[in-house]
Order: sequence, then C-alpha cells, then structure tokens
Amino acid sequence: MHSPSQLKRDFLKQWLKGLQMCSYPKKEMSILERKKAIKLSADVAMASARNATSCWGLALIANASKEGNDKCLVEHLLGQESERGKMASTFQLAILHKKLRSKKIIKKSCSVRRVKKLTPRMVLASSVAKRLVKNRTKVLKSLVPGGESMDEFSLIKETLDYIVSLRVQVDVMRCLANASDLLNCKGVHG
Amino acid sequence: MELGKCAEARSVDCGEKAEEIGADHFQLGEEIRTLVSAPPDSGSSFTALLELPANQAVKLLHSPELEETPRAAELPPVFPACKLSVFLGAGNSPDTGSIPVKQEPTDSDSPPGNSSPLAADPMAVDGDRKLTKRKEREKKVKGPAKKSRTAAECEADGEKLPYVHVRARRGQATDSHSLAERARREKINARMKLLQELVPGCNKISGTAMVLDEIINHVQSLQRQVEFLSMRLAAVNPRIDINLDSLLAAENGSLLDSNFSGIIMPSMWPEGQFNVNRQQYPQVWHQPVWGREEGNPNFITPENSLLSYNSSANSGKSYFLILAN
Repeated sequence: MHSPSQLKRDFLKQWLKGLQMCSYPKKEMSILERKKAIKLSADVAMASARNATSCWGLALIANASKEGNDKCLVEHLLGQESERGKMASTFQLAILHKKLRSKKIIKKSCSVRRVKKLTPRMVLASSVAKRLVKNRTKVLKSLVPGGESMDEFSLIKETLDYIVSLRVQVDVMRCLANASDLLNCKGVHG
Repeated sequence: MELGKCAEARSVDCGEKAEEIGADHFQLGEEIRTLVSAPPDSGSSFTALLELPANQAVKLLHSPELEETPRAAELPPVFPACKLSVFLGAGNSPDTGSIPVKQEPTDSDSPPGNSSPLAADPMAVDGDRKLTKRKEREKKVKGPAKKSRTAAECEADGEKLPYVHVRARRGQATDSHSLAERARREKINARMKLLQELVPGCNKISGTAMVLDEIINHVQSLQRQVEFLSMRLAAVNPRIDINLDSLLAAENGSLLDSNFSGIIMPSMWPEGQFNVNRQQYPQVWHQPVWGREEGNPNFITPENSLLSYNSSANSGKSYFLILAN
C-alpha cells in the first residue's frame, strides 16, 4: 500500500506530466481554460495514481473522457497501454450502472406498494432516522465520482479512499501554489 | 486501575506507533482499552457457555488495533483501514504489515469477497456467537450508540446479563435473513467508524445521519479547495515568467537550502540538467515534452535563462532529494 508521501510523489509526477501535455496544444489560454486544464490533469493524475484500488478513479476518468475536447487530453495523459484498460473498465462501469439502475427500478416499484400498506400514524424515530440516512447517502453518492452505481457498503469504502486522495491532492496543490507565490514575491522584491 | 493498566500494557506495544499516529491514536487507544478490558470479563464466560474453540476466541480477543473492522470485512477493504492509520501517522509501515497478516485467519472463516447474504450462513452457526460477543464488545466500546438499531438491541439485555443477551440472540439467530442483515450492518458500522476517525471532528458525533453530514461537508470542502487551488495556480502564471529569471539567479541555492525542504519546487527544474538527473532516477520523462516548456502554464521557465545558471545542477538534484524525503 502506498505511503502518503509515495502517493504524493506519484500524484505530482503524473500531474506535472499532464500539465506539460495540456499546455502544448494551445499557446495562449484564458484563465478559466487554464484552470480547467489544471484541475482536469490533477484529477486524472490522482485517479491514475490510485488506479488499481479505486472505483471512483475509474469513474472519474470515464466521466472525463466522455466530453469531446477533454477526451484526447485524457487519452494522452493516460498513455496508450492504459487507455485500453480504461476503455474496458468504462464499459464495465456502464454495464454495471445499467444493471443497478434496473435493479433499483424494480426495488422502487416494490417498495411503493409497501409504503401504501403501512401508512404509519405514529412516525417511529427509526424510520425518521432511516430517511435521514437515505437522504444523506444520496447526497454522498452524488459527490463521490461513480457513486451512483454503488451499494452502501462500497460507497463508504470509496468515500474513504476518495477523501484520502483528495487530501493528498489538496496538499500538493497548496504546496505548489505557496511555492509559486513565494517565488513571485521574491521576484518582485529582488 | 485495571483499565489503566491494560491500557498501559497495550500502549507499550503500540507505543512506537503511537508517537507517529499522534492525536488520532487517543481515540484508538480508548477503544483498545475498552476492547482489552471487556474480553477478559466476558470472554471466559462466553467461551465456557458457547464452547467456542479457544483459538477462535483468542483471535477475537486479540483483534488488531482497528478492532472489529477486519473480522467482518473482506480483504480489500482492509487496505483503506491500514492506509488510514498509515496516512494519519505519516507513513508507518509496520502497521500495514501486521494488520493484513492478522486478517487472514479471520478472513478464512468467512468466504472472502462475498458480501451476499449467503456468506453469512457459513458463519451463522458459530458466527452468531461471535456476533453476539462482538456486539457486546461493540456496545462497550462505542458507549452511547452510534447506530441506533444495534444499540437498541444490545441495551436492554446489555452489560448485566450476558447470558440473557446470548439467549435473545439465539432466538433471533435462526432467521438467516436477520443474521445476514446483522452481518451487513456490522460491516457498515465498522466502515463508518473508520470514516469517523478520518474526518476531523466526527468522533464526538453519534448517529449515522450526523456523521454522514460531516463527511459530506468534508468532501465538499475538499473539492472546493481543489477548485480554488487550481484557480489560484492558473492565476499565478503570467507573473511567473517575467520574474522567474531574476529570481532564479538570486535565489537558486538559498531557497532550496532554507525552510522549503518540505515544499516541492518544480520551478527549479532546469531543462538542461534533466539528462543528468535521468540517470539518477529511473523515471520516464519524455524528451519532447520538455521541449514544449514555453507554453507551459506553470513553472518551467524558458530554457535560455536556465542554462546559464551553473548552480542549476544543484537545484535539479535537490528537487529530487526533496521528492525522495
């Protein structure tokens, strides 16, 4: 398992590689474009650094490669060999997603009947709690990439993973930003 | 006090790890303490009552630091657990080494990688007793219930009469569905505990919904930070190119030597030096990529300014030194 510094290193390597590739096609980019490119390369770098273990990483890459203009970029970033792997995984993800969707539709149709039968006069605390938890898990699913096609258990695991990698990402980016700021200040004064 | 002594004994083993893990270990330490204290009391009576084979009881009693997580979970989920403690402690490899090793005997009980209800059934007969033991211990560990359901079940029978507790469980245990449900719930509880430890400020909160709330907030804030930082990095660019020449001339050695050892300084990469460094580090940096540096949004300066610095050799090497730390 990666130690955090190892992860940081991997992430940084990938990210800087990606940044180089981002800048190549266009010489002049608006700030928003640049920001998008930076963020995208950071995300993809993060995802590929954690590639083997994370479902959210694959989902992230799949999402990123959906849109046309980013697609080539993502492919470049990942390299030729891994691209095939990603394609395979994206297909799997799509299939899984469809399966789960159909399952959920069936479940929902069943549960609707159940609700009608129960019609509780007294609202039990447990049912309220369950509803709250359900709402929260829905929100969490929307946050974590690829979260929709996951059951509760793996969702929690993916969240764990995702939080850790987000932290690494934030740390590295902050270091870079600080370093560049300091350089700028020194440059201004010196 | 007995609890204190147990805690001391336990903390000696993980003393070395404790320094590294830091504050988070306190929560772990509390749980370890309660874990250690609880089994001796209930364990012997349980094993007598339930006629558990001794080695299984031992396995349960001496669970790894991350308590119930390993027992219920499959192997892959252990990695986040190990990695968490590692991450929090900034790289503590002995932890990760020990936990997967302890994992294997317990995992062989439950068929690995199978989270379906059927998986609960092989565990069912001897498993429900483990579950009851675990539930009791969990209750003592968690104190005021984190999950209302499990706590509600435990609390009535609770600490006073473990025998009654077991009895109630046996009545329920025959239903395979509830067993599977309970196993699943336990898994989820264990995971939620991990999440609680990871997200700062979640330890005091009880109740799944609130914990999830905190987690959502945390994830959202992290994502927002990424956005913000990427915007900041994007904004930084125009000035960098102008100033970096003079900056590099003046500050090349000193910046690296000084307090920025923790900060990665990619701007110190001289393009010309890379051929030298590539021999030192087996990395795949494509040569053509480096040629495109003029358009780079970030830190690589035009090569003509870099090559003139003779101290740039040091900076390139020290960059890799920084990375290596």
